[in-house]
Amino acid sequence: MSDKEIIVASLNRVERRIRTNRLLRELALSAVVFIALPLLLKVWDLFDPLRGSTVSVILGTWVLLFAAYLVWRVLQKGTLNDAAASVDLQADLHDELKTAFWFVNNPRPSEWVDAQVHRAAVNAQRLNFEHLYPRRIPTTSYIAAAMILVFVSLNFVPLSLNHNWLTLQAAPAFALNEKEAAILKQTQQLLRKAEKLKQSDVAQKLEDIVQQLQEGKIDAQQAAQMLDNIQSELEEGNLDAASINEGLEEMAKDLQQSDKLDPTAQAMQNKQLNLAADELRKLAEKLGLNSPKDTKEMQKSLEQAAENPRPGLDELAKMLKEAAENLKNGQQDAAQAGLESAANQLDALEQRMEAQDLKNLASKELQSLKDSLQQRQQGGQKQGGRGQQQQAGGKAQGGQGQKPQPGQQADPNAQGQSQDGGEGEPSDQNAQNNASQSGAPMPGGNDGNGLMPSGKGGSDAPREGAPTKLDVKLKEEKVQGMPDGGEKPENLEETSKQERSRLDYRNVKSDLSPAQKDLLNQDRIPWEYRPLIKDYFQAIRPAAGPQKK
Amino acid sequence: MSTAIDQQVASFQERFNRVKEEVSKVIVGSGEIIDGVIMSLLASGHVLLEGVPGLGKTKLVSTLSDVMHLKFSRIQFTPDLMPADITGTNVVQENAMGQKFLEFQQGPIFSNIVLADEVNRATPKTQSALLEAMEERSVTVGKTTHKLDSPFFVLATQNPLEMEGTYPLPEAQLDRFFLKLRVGYPTVESLHTILNRTTKVKEPQVERVLGQGEVLEMRKTVRAVPIARPVQDYAIRITLATHPRPPYAQPLTMKYVRYGSSPRGAQALVIGGKIRALLNNRLHVSCEDIRSVAYGALRHRVLLNFEGEAERVETDTVIKEILENTPEPK
Repeated sequence: MSDKEIIVASLNRVERRIRTNRLLRELALSAVVFIALPLLLKVWDLFDPLRGSTVSVILGTWVLLFAAYLVWRVLQKGTLNDAAASVDLQADLHDELKTAFWFVNNPRPSEWVDAQVHRAAVNAQRLNFEHLYPRRIPTTSYIAAAMILVFVSLNFVPLSLNHNWLTLQAAPAFALNEKEAAILKQTQQLLRKAEKLKQSDVAQKLEDIVQQLQEGKIDAQQAAQMLDNIQSELEEGNLDAASINEGLEEMAKDLQQSDKLDPTAQAMQNKQLNLAADELRKLAEKLGLNSPKDTKEMQKSLEQAAENPRPGLDELAKMLKEAAENLKNGQQDAAQAGLESAANQLDALEQRMEAQDLKNLASKELQSLKDSLQQRQQGGQKQGGRGQQQQAGGKAQGGQGQKPQPGQQADPNAQGQSQDGGEGEPSDQNAQNNASQSGAPMPGGNDGNGLMPSGKGGSDAPREGAPTKLDVKLKEEKVQGMPDGGEKPENLEETSKQERSRLDYRNVKSDLSPAQKDLLNQDRIPWEYRPLIKDYFQAIRPAAGPQKK
Repeated sequence: MSTAIDQQVASFQERFNRVKEEVSKVIVGSGEIIDGVIMSLLASGHVLLEGVPGLGKTKLVSTLSDVMHLKFSRIQFTPDLMPADITGTNVVQENAMGQKFLEFQQGPIFSNIVLADEVNRATPKTQSALLEAMEERSVTVGKTTHKLDSPFFVLATQNPLEMEGTYPLPEAQLDRFFLKLRVGYPTVESLHTILNRTTKVKEPQVERVLGQGEVLEMRKTVRAVPIARPVQDYAIRITLATHPRPPYAQPLTMKYVRYGSSPRGAQALVIGGKIRALLNNRLHVSCEDIRSVAYGALRHRVLLNFEGEAERVETDTVIKEILENTPEPK
């Protein structure tokens, strides 16, 4: 190799080594800077969970920037002049290589120049580049490693709000709280049981709604509406359980008249319809062994039981009637088949009843979940009502709802009721914030009269009333004025059924300003008018009764 | 080829060191000054020694002349010294026929080594008599120009303390000095050595170790040392930085300097750097070589303005800032 080649080769080697060391150093430093942002975001996420999309966008952009920076730095090469200057400095060569490289690029016809280049080449060959430019792991790389460790550890911190980004978990758009999650789980279990009985996909729909809510595709209000639809779906084709139970009891009473049908009747009275079906089947098998008297009793009991069936028991009554007729006609096989069919009807009825119970329970749970979501969505708006400050009172309603009266705002979230019947004072601070944002006066606010003026910013959207939770079952009521004089009972049980009020509250717009309304609604009576008002009310009161003092 | 040059460099170093050793027998504790003086001689330049009386300036020059086999003359500059006292003059002579004619009588400047002692005591008119000799190596008297022998080397001394009755050297003359060296006070140890050597019966004797031809040969060697363009560029940037003008001027230069170094300053940097390189057994000039001669080469070429003079700013301070803030080439 010529002196020139030796010098250039040495400088190339040095340049590569310098570049490698620089890249290592810069990579470590940039890694520290790069990890700092995800680490900060993760710490933030621990206290205020970030949405998956937010995390993805920020970290994605960050990764792209980092990658672009790395590519830029990797592609950036040093010059051989820089390498020569660096070697001169490191090896204390006093600009020998720098001068030699310059003369290599700018040759001169001089013995002295040749001698200088030769001497530089010899010295370059003697240099130990491993010693001059050792490969060292930069200190910052340890810091970067520590930061990565902290970042990974933070992802596994067992906190309820924590989400493991390493497993691509992120906070959903809407997170159910523990109570809501428990309600949801319970509901899903019930629905799955119901599904087994009746092949419905309501549980799947519920799951989809929760998933959409968590992904931010729908908000809490929309979720509540969808839950409402599911609830309606569950309520479709509901059996009138009370009516059926009473019908069964009536049937049982009729069947008890026959000794052979007594076990079946007992089971029916005990609401053990499967057992009743089994007894009926046993009876059908041994039908031929019965005496004519027993057969006669059975036929009469069955006929009686089949009379005036309650809604939902039509099929059963029909089967019993067929069996009775067959017994009457002496067609034993047909009677046996009729009893078998009646037993099957009882089994089916049992199954339907069971599914009905489960759906009812699921419906209740759904209602709770929906209320909870609405409460979080709308916040603590207080219930309108003259003189009533239920929110301020903060007393639990103990599971008893109040149907909104005309002119009263029936906001379920402001009634101070809690879903579990506990203390009704909402603890969610956001609720109060939302209330103040929507223009509704806060509980115990300035007006102080319990009114809910429809001030500016008040929502005009229909509001769903609080669910009715009356457990009172109005049984049969005779309505006066009926053509038969009320002798024929009419079941009005639907009205007493526990369900959510379907009467939407509509905020009535008023032309009065809030100040004017306050003035009109104020209870203070001017001192000089009090005797006059008292006299007025005393004058119009009903005639004095015996209880009047 | 390489070997011949290596031998040349080795010979240069050996001669230089021999001269230095001989001078050091008499002059104690002034290694850098001795180096500077010899460098100036080898660079075909002149040197201005500045220092308080009694520091051995004159002794250094006389010793140097003793060491070298060169013609030496000493001129004591006084206010009444006339130019002709330096250069020489035409005197009327009479030949054997009784005819009179003018004959040039050489002055003390016609030597190889001239010691201009206390050069600032002479009037500017007399000081100017050195101008032509220092730069052109010739003396013009009347209509005749007389060439000076080579090597011609002027060593001037001046006392920075006694300003009364002195005439500061004009800028043009200052610029002709290759280096301006400041002779500092010796250390305690050096003083011990001085006393030991000079207060005894036998004073140290020096030998003549260098002749005229050898000096000229060494001068040739110095000029042959190559310098790369980046290093030369560094010297130029330093020189330009002494001027109070952008883009190279430093804040201190802008504030206190009236006029910077002439191109002679850059020449001094490069030639001084070459000698340093040879002395360090290198065949190239490094930036460090340039820096090492910067103070001596530039301190008398940087002219302070009124503000600088008033605030007693040292030119060395300005040069220091320039050296610190001028980056080395890459």
